[in-house]
Amino acid sequence: MSAETGVIHDIGYRRYTGRRLGRAQIVRALYWHSLRSAFGLGRGAKAKIVPVIVFVIMCLPAIASAVAVANGNPRLVPYDTYVFQLRVVLMIIFVAAQAPELVSRDLRSHVLPLYFCRPLRRMDYPLAKLAAFITACLAIIEIPLVLLYLGTIAQSHSPHAIWTQTRAFIPGLLVGLMWAVLLAAIGLAMASLSGRRAYATGGIAIYFFLTWILAGILIAVTQRNVVRSATINPPPGARPPGVPATGPIKVHMMTQVPTTASHLSGLVSPFTTLDGVRLWLGGTSKGALPGVGGYGALYGAMFLVLLAASVGGLFARYRKAGAL
Amino acid sequence: MSAPLTAPAGAPAAEPDAGAPVIQTSALSKRYPGPVTALDALTVTVAPGITGLVGANGAGKSTLIKILLGLLEPTGGEARVFGRDCQRDGEQIRGLTGYMPEHDCLPPDVTATEFVTHLGRMSGLPPTAAKERAAESLRHVGLYEERYRQIGTYSTGMKQRVKLAQALVGDPRLLLLDEPTVGLDPAGRNSMLELIARIGAEFGISIVVASHLLGEIERICDHLVAIEAGRLLRADTITSMTQVRQVLLVDVDEGSDELLAELGRRGLEPRRHERSLLVGLDGDATYDIVRDAIADLALPLNRLEQRRRRVEELFQDDDDDADALVTARTGGGPSGGGGPSGTPEAPHVR
Repeated sequence: MSAETGVIHDIGYRRYTGRRLGRAQIVRALYWHSLRSAFGLGRGAKAKIVPVIVFVIMCLPAIASAVAVANGNPRLVPYDTYVFQLRVVLMIIFVAAQAPELVSRDLRSHVLPLYFCRPLRRMDYPLAKLAAFITACLAIIEIPLVLLYLGTIAQSHSPHAIWTQTRAFIPGLLVGLMWAVLLAAIGLAMASLSGRRAYATGGIAIYFFLTWILAGILIAVTQRNVVRSATINPPPGARPPGVPATGPIKVHMMTQVPTTASHLSGLVSPFTTLDGVRLWLGGTSKGALPGVGGYGALYGAMFLVLLAASVGGLFARYRKAGAL
Repeated sequence: MSAPLTAPAGAPAAEPDAGAPVIQTSALSKRYPGPVTALDALTVTVAPGITGLVGANGAGKSTLIKILLGLLEPTGGEARVFGRDCQRDGEQIRGLTGYMPEHDCLPPDVTATEFVTHLGRMSGLPPTAAKERAAESLRHVGLYEERYRQIGTYSTGMKQRVKLAQALVGDPRLLLLDEPTVGLDPAGRNSMLELIARIGAEFGISIVVASHLLGEIERICDHLVAIEAGRLLRADTITSMTQVRQVLLVDVDEGSDELLAELGRRGLEPRRHERSLLVGLDGDATYDIVRDAIADLALPLNRLEQRRRRVEELFQDDDDDADALVTARTGGGPSGGGGPSGTPEAPHVR
């Protein structure tokens, strides 16, 4: 065969005699394909915009912290909450934009029969999609945490300091895992309801944002305002004008005290539910909730209910939608 | 890079059992709650080659395909593909079978190469082999030049070819094609049918073509299975089916009464059909007789065509002129006497 001829020869049909992969490997191939599409890989530049921007912004606090630590300051952000509000907003954007990428497109163009007529079982499809999207969310949440950790221990010189950081870092990773699993499951379950990407994205974003705002409002309005009084006796130089020069002064302070209702308010949103579980499991940083009171287990139960409903809904969807 | 196409088999591909019929069903039934009976005690055997599965819309063709792929549980009876039980060994059967759905199933915003490669992976091909076979499949269906274009830019005919290529990519031993010519113009239909015929003949792949247009798939099929309301109407080789089926439509502007009489005198059994005449077609000789009769009578011939008939017409009750004609030719009609074709069976099996 000479290389310079550009003629295509019809060599007829050739049988495939090579290796064939088993079902498990096909599911793995679908997992990789879906994971790549969660970051817009293998697709045009436009598909990469949201994942890249979300990832870069998510990393910024970790980078800022690394710079601060390098200049002798303490670590800027905690491992278990990271920058809570930023993480909520970025995860809403990521899940709302990318979950439909994984499932709505196939629904829209009716590709599913082409999967189900192959050596896959019906539940393999949602399984691969869910595993891929959990991995994608995990990458968005945990890689910045790893950067935060590395940036901190790079300046730690004693094994004890490194151990202290590691002990704080590991619970942070576990919290991130909870986030990734729950948000991916909810996002995919909602996206699988509509073949229209815009509807799926809108539905997910609205659900996450509204419940998040609602939880914030409920927490704020259900806290009791309490006037605390105290008697202080400042030295003469530190007294504000209009106050007697000597003798004790009575001061009144307004503070907000969580009530039972505000302890329970966090259950309305997945994000505050996740924060409640974190507090229940011993998280110490300040997150979205003022506290969970004695209701930590309820947050744990709510987490499981949300997760079971989402995963169950996703799988039930494909049990039915698979009709050829 | 190694060439996986010639690489020794790591895990040998599941091969069909030698000697087992391609498809075999016995008393296969499927009832949906409703109660809707999609398949009613269907017993049929499909031999290697190209088999037409004909029936009106709703006759049970798609239900049968779903059961064969192991995606739907029958409510009674059993179905086997290459000797494997469809319910128990669905995965194996799906590994040996390529399926082309009737409806649109292509994403518009990927290229044909990417799409078919991905589905090749889903058929169990390793990455490099999937790429190679996707390129080959697309070449076989005639989409080599355009394969890097997004599917959304394709014409209907090209999309049908992509659907066929994805069915072919996993090197199946059986292709199940559900209405492969749907939505195509006549030229597109012809080339699709030629392609299917070529795949069946040259690639050595057994093919089942489901269609509601008998006139179309008769041209490429070796066997024909006709079902109606989930029951087997008839299963036979194409030749014995077409003998009772082919009808010539003759349309003259005037003098159709004279022509009717003349054709009768020349040994044909014409029947009226609206303003035209229908004549049982028995090879080229029939054309010659009709031509000579018209020429001798000097009638203005308007139309002379082989009538393309839908399957449901063929198996209808005798209220249709053409069926009355066919019945007559085979000895059951009012004019009596065996027709020239000497077909042993009446077209009705009910």
